[in-house]
Amino acid sequence: MKRRAAIKNMMIFAGGIYLLPSCSGDPGKASVELAHITISAQQEALLAAIAETLIPGTKDAPGAKDLNLHLFTLKMVDDCHSADDQQKFVSSLRVMDKEGLFTRLDGAKREKFITDLLEDTNAPEELREFMKITKQRVIQGFKNSKYAMTDLKQYELVPGRYNGYYPVENV
Amino acid sequence: MPQLNTDSIKDRTFDAIVIGSGISGGWSAKELTERGLKTLLLERGRDVRHIKDYPTTNMLPYEFEHRGEVPLAIREKNPIVSKCYAFREDAMHFFVKDTEHPYIEDKPFDWIRGYQVGGKSLMWARQTQRWSDLDFEGPARDGFAVDWPIRYKDIAPWYSHVEKFAGISGNKDGLKELPDGEFLPPYPLNAVEDHFKKVVSEKYPGRYVISARAAHLSQPQPVHLEQGRGQCQNRILCQRGCPFGGYFSSNSSTIPWAQKTGNLTLRPFSVVHSIIYDEQKGRATGVKVIDTNTKEEIEYFARVIFVNASTVNTNLILLNSISHRFPEGLGNDSGVLGRYVAFHHYGGDVGGRYEGPLDRFRTDGRNPARGYIPRFRNVYKQETSFLRGYAAGLSAGRDFYSDTNAIGEALKDNLVNRKLGPWYVGSHMMGETIPKKESYIKLDTDKKDEWGVPLLRVSVDFDDNDAKMLEDYFEQFSEMFAAAGFKDIRTRKRPGAPGIDIHEMGGVRMGHDPRTSVLNKWHQLHACKNVFVTDGACMTSTSTQNPSLTYMAFSARAANFAVDELKKGNL
Repeated sequence: MKRRAAIKNMMIFAGGIYLLPSCSGDPGKASVELAHITISAQQEALLAAIAETLIPGTKDAPGAKDLNLHLFTLKMVDDCHSADDQQKFVSSLRVMDKEGLFTRLDGAKREKFITDLLEDTNAPEELREFMKITKQRVIQGFKNSKYAMTDLKQYELVPGRYNGYYPVENV
Repeated sequence: MPQLNTDSIKDRTFDAIVIGSGISGGWSAKELTERGLKTLLLERGRDVRHIKDYPTTNMLPYEFEHRGEVPLAIREKNPIVSKCYAFREDAMHFFVKDTEHPYIEDKPFDWIRGYQVGGKSLMWARQTQRWSDLDFEGPARDGFAVDWPIRYKDIAPWYSHVEKFAGISGNKDGLKELPDGEFLPPYPLNAVEDHFKKVVSEKYPGRYVISARAAHLSQPQPVHLEQGRGQCQNRILCQRGCPFGGYFSSNSSTIPWAQKTGNLTLRPFSVVHSIIYDEQKGRATGVKVIDTNTKEEIEYFARVIFVNASTVNTNLILLNSISHRFPEGLGNDSGVLGRYVAFHHYGGDVGGRYEGPLDRFRTDGRNPARGYIPRFRNVYKQETSFLRGYAAGLSAGRDFYSDTNAIGEALKDNLVNRKLGPWYVGSHMMGETIPKKESYIKLDTDKKDEWGVPLLRVSVDFDDNDAKMLEDYFEQFSEMFAAAGFKDIRTRKRPGAPGIDIHEMGGVRMGHDPRTSVLNKWHQLHACKNVFVTDGACMTSTSTQNPSLTYMAFSARAANFAVDELKKGNL
C-alpha cells in the first residue's frame, strides 16, 4: 500500500481522476503524459487561463484551475479526439500563445474574446473549433468532477429507490 | 480451478459436458449438476467470479479516466463492437474486441460477443418477457420457416421454474399475448408513462402499456438470499456486474449454485473445436478442446453434450464437427444447419416531449425495468401488408440540465444550480424477422483462427418485410404519441447492421421433421440424440420478446429431460 500511496502522491488530481505526470520533468513541457499531442508548459498555462475564464474560481466554489480541468481537457483531446481535431487544437494553442492573443487581455476582455470566437462565424475556423472543444470538455470535466458529483450532490451511485411521482416541490 | 490430469481418460470423462457458460449454459449446468450429473462446463474465455472480478463496479463517474468515453484508438480499431450501446469505458473489458476474434461478413453483421465465464449474461439488458402460443404458432399460421414442435403448455412450467430462481419483477397483467409469470413486485410506471398507458387503453383497444418484466430482485425471496444475492439497489450500472447480485447472471446465480452441488468442473480458456462422433456407437462421445493458454488439444468425454456456445458459435461447432456419417456438420442430414438465421429488428425509435399538468412530478431514483408494449400487429389474424409485428420499449423521464450558452460566472452559476428539464418520452421497436434459407452462417473453406478453427462467414440482411414494419412502427407510435399530447415527436432510424440487436437466432432450428429441421422437440439433434442445443441457435422463429428467458426455460427443460432419459437408459 505504501507504494500505491507514493504513486498516488506523484499523480495529479484532475477533476477527480489521477493523471500520470510527464516523465520528462522538463519544465518546458506539459505537466501530464500525452501520447498524441505535444504541448509546452507555456501553452498549458494558456489553456489553464482559458479554462479559468470559462469557469472561474469564486469564493464559495472551485473553478477550472482548482479542478485541473485544463489537464482533463488535454487528456480527452489526446485520447478521444480525431487527428484533425488534435491538429486544430494544438495549432490554435500555438498561435494564441505565440501572439499573446489571450494572455495580454485582462479579465472582462478575456471573456469577450472567447464569446466572440464562439459566436462570430467569420472568426478563423480553427480557433473556433479549438474553443468549442475546450468549452465542451471543460464543462464536461466540471459536471463530472468530484466536486459537482459529491459536494453538490449531483450524482448518486446507489439510489436504492425509485419514485415515478416525486413532487417537484421537494426538489 | 482443480488440476486436471490430462493423462487419464477417466479423469477426462464426465456424465455431461456443457459448452458455454452464458445465460443458457449456466442453466444447463445448474440443472444437470442438481440432478446429480458430474458436469464439465467449458468456457472459451477467462473466468469472471461474482463481485471479485467486477473491477469497475463501485467506481464513480469521475474515477474513469475518460468519464465513460471509449478512447478513439480503441474505437477505430474495433468499429463493430464500438456500435454497441453498452461498449463504454466502464464495461468494455467484458466485450470481445473485433480484432481479437475475426469473422468474415459476406453481408454486414454487427456481432457483439462476450467471451468470459457468464458470457453476455453479465451485460444483458435483463428484459424477460414470456412467449405465448401466438408466438409459437406464428410460422404455421403465416406460412414461413417450419412449425415449432412445441407449444406454450410445454414450456410454461419451465418458465415458472426459471423465473422463481432468477427473480423476475413484473405485474400480473392478464394478457394473452404476454403470459403472466412468477413475479416479484413490479417497478411501477412513472407519471408520464402511466398517462400514456391510460390514453392507449382508451383509444387503442388491444394495445397495452405495462411495466416490463425484468430479472431484478425487487424483493428477494429465500431462494435468492440462498444464492448470496440481495435487493436491487436501482443503480442501473448492471453492465459492470452487480456487487449486490441485484440482477440475474450466470456469475451471480446458476454457476455458484452448480458449484455448491460438488458436481461441477468449470474450465475456462477452453475453445471447443468440435464434437467427437463415434461411427460405431452412432453417438457423440465427447468434445475436442483447445486450451487457449497452451494451445494444447484435449479431448473430454461424456454421455450427454449441451451446446450453449451462443447462436453463432453453436452453429460453428456443429458445422465443424465432421465425420464420415456427418460430412456436412453434426446432425446436418437436412442441409439446413447454419441456415434460416434471423434476428430482432431494432431499426428505429420514436421520441417526444410531454408538457402539462404532470410537470408537477419528476422521478427520483432509477427504474431498472421501464415500460413495455407487447406486439399489437397481426396478433390474432393477418391485418397489415407485412408479416408479424413488433413490441416496443417505452420510457419517460426528466433530467436536470444546465444552460451552457454563457461563459464565466454565469456559466458556473448554471452548472452549480441545475434546472429541472422537461419530461422526455422515448420508445424503441423490437421487431420479429422472418428466417430465410439464404440467411446463413457457414465456415470458410480456407482461413482459420488461431485455435485452428475455420473462420465464420455470416450473411444476414434486412428485407422488405422489415422495411414495412419500421414504417408502421414510426406511423403508429407517432400517432399514439400525438394522441397522448406529446410534443416535438421525432422518428429516428437506428444505425447498424443485423446483429447490433444482440438477438441473433437460428441455424439449428427445431422442428417436427428431420428433413427440414435439425432439432426435435426436446432440443436433441434428430440424428444424434445425446447432443442438445438450447441457446439461440435452436430458434425456429424469433417473435419479438427478448429471448434470454426462453433460452433459460429451454435449457432447464431439456436438461431435466436428458437426466430422465439417462436414467431410463435411453441415452
